[in-house]
Amino acid sequence: MYKFPEGLYVDVRVEETFTTVIRFKQLELQGQKVRSKKGAFVRVFDGERWFYSSTTDLESVQAQINTLAQMAKANPDILEHPVIAALEVHKESVLRYDQDSVTDVPVQEKQDFLESVLGLIKDPAIVNYNSAYVDEKTIKSFYSSKGAAITYDQQMCGVRISLDIVCGENKDQTAVSRGTANFADLKKTLPFFQDQIAKDVAFVAAAEPVVPGDYPVLLSPEATGVFTHESFGHKSESDFMVGDEAMRAEWTLGKRVGQDLLTIIDDGTITGNGYTPFDDEGTKGRQTKIISNGILTGRLHSVGTSVALEEDVTGNARALNFEFEPIVRMTTTYIAKGTKPLQDIIAEMDHGIYVETLKHGSGMSTFTLAPARAYKIEGGRITAPVKISVITGNVFSTLQEVDAVSEEFELTSFVGGGCGKMEQYPLPVGFGGPYTRVRKLKVQ
Amino acid sequence: MKQEFITIQEKETTARVQMSQVQAVRVKDLTKKGVRVYKDGKIGISGAVGDVPDQELMDNAVQNLNAGIEYPYPLSRNLRDHRTYNDQPMGSQELLEHAEHILAALRQEFPDFSFSEAISASELIVQMRNSEGLDLKYSDAFFALTLILKEKSTANLFDGALICQTRKFDRDRFLDFNRGFLEAYRNKVDLPKGDVLPVFTLGADAALGFIGRSLNGERFAKGSSLFSGRLGEQLFSEKITIELNRNPLITGRRFFDAEGVVLPDDRLPLIEQGQLNRVLTDKKTAQLYNLTHTGAAAGGYDDPPTIDGSHVRSLAFRTDSKDIKQALQGQPAILVFMASGGDFTADGAYASPVQVSFLFDGERLLGKLPEFTMRSHLNAMLGKDYIGTFENTCFYLGDIPSQLQGCYMTIF
Repeated sequence: MYKFPEGLYVDVRVEETFTTVIRFKQLELQGQKVRSKKGAFVRVFDGERWFYSSTTDLESVQAQINTLAQMAKANPDILEHPVIAALEVHKESVLRYDQDSVTDVPVQEKQDFLESVLGLIKDPAIVNYNSAYVDEKTIKSFYSSKGAAITYDQQMCGVRISLDIVCGENKDQTAVSRGTANFADLKKTLPFFQDQIAKDVAFVAAAEPVVPGDYPVLLSPEATGVFTHESFGHKSESDFMVGDEAMRAEWTLGKRVGQDLLTIIDDGTITGNGYTPFDDEGTKGRQTKIISNGILTGRLHSVGTSVALEEDVTGNARALNFEFEPIVRMTTTYIAKGTKPLQDIIAEMDHGIYVETLKHGSGMSTFTLAPARAYKIEGGRITAPVKISVITGNVFSTLQEVDAVSEEFELTSFVGGGCGKMEQYPLPVGFGGPYTRVRKLKVQ
Repeated sequence: MKQEFITIQEKETTARVQMSQVQAVRVKDLTKKGVRVYKDGKIGISGAVGDVPDQELMDNAVQNLNAGIEYPYPLSRNLRDHRTYNDQPMGSQELLEHAEHILAALRQEFPDFSFSEAISASELIVQMRNSEGLDLKYSDAFFALTLILKEKSTANLFDGALICQTRKFDRDRFLDFNRGFLEAYRNKVDLPKGDVLPVFTLGADAALGFIGRSLNGERFAKGSSLFSGRLGEQLFSEKITIELNRNPLITGRRFFDAEGVVLPDDRLPLIEQGQLNRVLTDKKTAQLYNLTHTGAAAGGYDDPPTIDGSHVRSLAFRTDSKDIKQALQGQPAILVFMASGGDFTADGAYASPVQVSFLFDGERLLGKLPEFTMRSHLNAMLGKDYIGTFENTCFYLGDIPSQLQGCYMTIF
């Protein structure tokens, strides 16, 4: 297929992406975009430095390989280089969306579904709304000079609605989004949208400013997902640890970082936004237990970081698209479900905050959660809605503060947004988990 | 049938940096094309990544007319404006030589830090032309450096960044400034005493993000904006002017909006001396709600024009004050370098953690402060607690001008 030069490692990732975007402003069609694009990313390694190139001209891939090879220095021992030796070689085709491809659904049927969601918006408090149906199917092919030859597909579709709500003096902009792996499942989500829209209106109508302070906080599965991602998930991405003795000492495998009830998993095999059957270095996707019963047991790797830290590969080298090189990213990251019923967890709380939905989160030494809908917990009951700017906690101590996880459990996917890591944003990742209680967080 | 063509050409060479070493070199050369056709008050759009023939895109756009998307607005016309802001783009060899030199200096002089991310040289051409005589072309080239810095002694993901975006790179000035920056970083100091302190931020992205959403003409007209019904009212301090600014020398971006509108002098004030005089509108929003058209259409190269979007990169405070040291009158201040994850509530209450900040005397960075949280309200930040918006002469971030904005905040 490609002629790989001697003395160098080469891999080629070819992506063919089909997308649909249908936009409405209230009930008026604003855009109906159906696109198909192809591109390739080429990597060459000579044992000292990587050379990358991206192109939309698939006829030029061989020329790109040759050009990068001229920039590199041939190395007869390249196959013995530890990183190259650790690269997996698979020859496999995993096309799981052949039978229910979004490419086979007529665009009018997609538009009809979006209009059926818009038909749910009847409350006069919703003074304006914008919406989008989005789908994306990507077929990736990966070839390497070690002999890898992989083809697989990924697919998501979903609807996102932003709502401008005015209830007297109270005003807010909210958003509701849901994604599924195929169109048939998306058509079952109307009740979800109906429920969320009603909750958003009720929230805006009654929300009062929170009294700032430290609170016990109960997180919904959606909020738990973002909390897990921001408070700990990024810390488990091992490219931050390579060559960094302080980080390695802080996050030594075997260290207790939470109570026994806390288990955190990253799993690229789960259907949804984070589905990654093979990563962008050709490593097979898998489940990685990052924390097991409160003990740090793993972290997320590319081949390079796994070699540097002398740990197993995990299939977490992901690129945003054919314009970028793979870096260590999460797939679907979640707290495993517990054994306590949600009602019991709430009943134990004399006071606190329940966070149901979020606008965004971030994770550095201090992680942040910006709630969209949040409520007081008083006397073992969820009560009045409260407006909160931001909830913050320290990534080094907060996991220890998780003191309850529910038996109820939900993983969710959405469209619009995703995970950002420097220039590569937004990467689809899976979210969710159980209802999770954190003993103390700072609420503003 | 009227036709419109948008072409974006991007070339980039990037040195990927890990642990203060160039780990990889990446080259990109991409073309993106969008075609719009207009017929009987409808718009049809197509687009592609790659050098796809215009006729193929035209055929797809004509087919897209069948979707029935309304666009009964006049096209921008009879204007030829070609601008080149940097005709000497940096080559790959020069880029790598700069990267190696900078990293060698940082490794030698600051072994207690490590640096990662990217140093790049890029070229950009954006063209928009139509059958009505519109012919706009924006050409530019930048050297950009983003080096995430990490103190080797901490277990944080990262502890700050060195940043530069510039058309002409002055390496000596960059290194001189960042030597001072990193020396200040090494000097850990306590927060000044007091709950309410003068806080300066580099730019005003947080406030502009919230104000941009509130200035959205559609939200304004529908009653869901914080500013709805307040046209002509005094919103903020009389010192404050906020404008739509499309001057590439200020923004580092193209000078026209997604409908090909070029503003007189590339700028248009929306809030003048604290008073709300205009809101953000594209052609549709202006006509539909009888608002002044302000040339604020957004949208991708193959999307229909829209008023949606944050507009934060197109909005700017006008510099209104000159001497920070004089404004402080000896009071110690905080200069926030990184405050990530905070937000405004719908009614304007603001809170944010501050990850990286410095003790500041109005001229110099005196030392690095511990993390803290700041809190205020938009009305106070730009009203009674407002200090001013100053030209940034303290941080060297390249030759694109930047600002420092100050107000009193509650610190805890």
